Amino acid sequence: MKINKLLALVICGAMMLSSVGCGKTNVKNKDGNNSQNGVVELKIPSYKTGENVGAVFFEPQVKRFNEKYTGKYKITLETVPQDNFSDRLKQLAQQKALPVLVQGGDPDWIKNVVIPNGLAYDLGPWINETPAIKDVLIEDSLKYCTVGGKVYVMPMATVRSIGMFYNSSMWKSEKDINTLTVDEFMTELGDQKIAFSTAENGWVAGLMYTALIANQDGGKELLASGAQNKIVDLNKPAFVNAAAQLQKMLQKNAASNSIGATYPDAANAFMSKQASIIANGPWMAAEFEEKNSANWSNGFNGADIRASFYPGGIGIANTSTYGEWWVSASASEKELECAKAFLEFIYSPNELEAFMLAEGGEAPNLKYSDSFKEKQSKSQILFDLAEDATSNATFVPCFLDIVPNSVANSDFGRLLPSLADGTYTPEKFCEMLSKAAAEATA
Amino acid sequence: MPTKSAHKKIGNLKRYNYTWCYIFLLPTIIIFCMFYLIPILQVFITSFTKWDGFNSPKFSGFENYINLFKSSGFIVALKNLLLWCIVALFLHVGFGTLVAFVLYQKKPGWKITRAVFMIPNVISAAAWAMIYRFFFNNDFGILNNIIRIFNPNFNVQWFYKSPWAFWAVTFTWLFYAVIVTLLVLGDLQNISPEINEAAIIDGATGWQLIRYIQLPLCRGAIGTSVIASLTSRVSMYEQIALTTAGGPGYDTMSLPILLVNAVTDYRYGYANAIGVVMFILGLIILAVVSKMFRMNDSDY
Repeated sequence: MKINKLLALVICGAMMLSSVGCGKTNVKNKDGNNSQNGVVELKIPSYKTGENVGAVFFEPQVKRFNEKYTGKYKITLETVPQDNFSDRLKQLAQQKALPVLVQGGDPDWIKNVVIPNGLAYDLGPWINETPAIKDVLIEDSLKYCTVGGKVYVMPMATVRSIGMFYNSSMWKSEKDINTLTVDEFMTELGDQKIAFSTAENGWVAGLMYTALIANQDGGKELLASGAQNKIVDLNKPAFVNAAAQLQKMLQKNAASNSIGATYPDAANAFMSKQASIIANGPWMAAEFEEKNSANWSNGFNGADIRASFYPGGIGIANTSTYGEWWVSASASEKELECAKAFLEFIYSPNELEAFMLAEGGEAPNLKYSDSFKEKQSKSQILFDLAEDATSNATFVPCFLDIVPNSVANSDFGRLLPSLADGTYTPEKFCEMLSKAAAEATA
Repeated sequence: MPTKSAHKKIGNLKRYNYTWCYIFLLPTIIIFCMFYLIPILQVFITSFTKWDGFNSPKFSGFENYINLFKSSGFIVALKNLLLWCIVALFLHVGFGTLVAFVLYQKKPGWKITRAVFMIPNVISAAAWAMIYRFFFNNDFGILNNIIRIFNPNFNVQWFYKSPWAFWAVTFTWLFYAVIVTLLVLGDLQNISPEINEAAIIDGATGWQLIRYIQLPLCRGAIGTSVIASLTSRVSMYEQIALTTAGGPGYDTMSLPILLVNAVTDYRYGYANAIGVVMFILGLIILAVVSKMFRMNDSDY
């Protein structure tokens, strides 16, 4: 009987423990930091790992940092899929388990949750004490990241303008594309095909729509205003007229797989010569390198690809926004030191230049080294984009960044097929978007 | 007649057993409260608040519900749900039941057929959605390529063209009724052979045997299948999110899609109001189907 009782108690205890024993405590040493043998180690959840396109540059960069600070600091990366990354950060914040160095996050969440709740460390004093960093920051971004005199998110030093790529073996404009008007561009296009993605958030179509809006009267100002406060009324003429042009493009120039295409489908259409144009950021340049030729088909050759800003000299880039990194307010002194060392490292001229060579972009406040200029000129695509980013260029934020999240992530892509097949007129399309935007902010 | 001390002994034993029952139930009760009861209560309470999921919720009365009932997607989502429920009730459960009756005949190969019929069930709904995206693809999908053999100019974007999108989404789950089949088959196999034999001796034909003996005796399993199928329609998300995302327009809009969109916009109070509506719909389905199929009555 006693044995039965004991057995019952053990089983019962085990069941109880199993229900509460799933949690894991982050063990810190007596100084409050994660360190072993005096090495301060920070674990960063990141989507720029493994097969992610951003890993090509970011993983070696972390390796370079670890090598530079061997025995002192160490950064390890925890892989989080890109699709779930923002949710993962929110989850960690709710569990009060944010990593010391936080990579990105949904801007709305940072603005409405992270900053008001004091989750981010004020980097302002450190930036002011570190001229090497302060000097390379983009003023608009620094201004945007400063709230009540405190800098909660590391401002941007580089900006990657999104333009478009075209296959010069299939199509070439008589004049520079960025000097054309939209009408001239459409005439030049003729029957050429553009690779669009309309599924998911309709990324590629969203970029083209942005460029078309920016070419309307008052379009640039509208887009710029949306970077500060999300736009809910999309019935304005600039949006409607651009939707009409987008509809025309989708009906006449879209690659055959465009309706329902995800981004990989659109990229596939471009890299199999089913389309001669695709809108995307400079990070796509890596896809056109010989080492990635396994993804090419139908006689596609990466060397034929050229890049340009959009008609009207439009480049898509938003400088009035947060940079990529922020530091958790709960970090210990040692962890802060490590985090600052990492930020200082990635904002150093060498690293910024390496980043721009790998993923494109410009650092307006950085004095480029000669070797950088030389290397940049060897990459046709980066050279094309740098050439278009002149004083005549106008930079606007992407349409998908100026509307409420659910409109950008879901509604825009959901409504596009109906615009493309003519079920919706441009007016109806914009009305539906406005309705969705109004409901999202109600 | 038991003596007073015997009564006392039985009473002590009962108390002793009850104590152990409660101790063993405790982990389940704790888990139920932690992972079901408290979150459900939280969903109910916060559905009456304006809440961004991080800052403290602020009481807003019925505002979330009013906004929900006024929203463009909600009524369409309810209409779609009603239509999907009708299709599930008659076609999904009907097909699963039909297969169960065919398997019950134990014709040669029935065991293999049952195993093959099981296979789709081990593939996740998300994977099925992706498979169907390829199946219905206009350029290289199997369906359109077969149709083009007869009509070379045929072009339909099944998932992106109204009204086909609704039926394309429906097709992603319609014929995967293995749970229904297994439940009904289980009940069929539990029917005592004497009952079937008695009916045959009384002159019942094959159809009469099914109609008047076997089908009524499977009432419980069919009722359970209907509940499972209809509640799955209420919570159906992956098949829609990964194919049409509720479009084109609002053609395939559903409550879970609206809920996820609300979460994307940090409108947790509003999302929870949708959750409450889904919960209530689930309860209504449970109550109505239980009543219709007299699920609390004994068969024998």
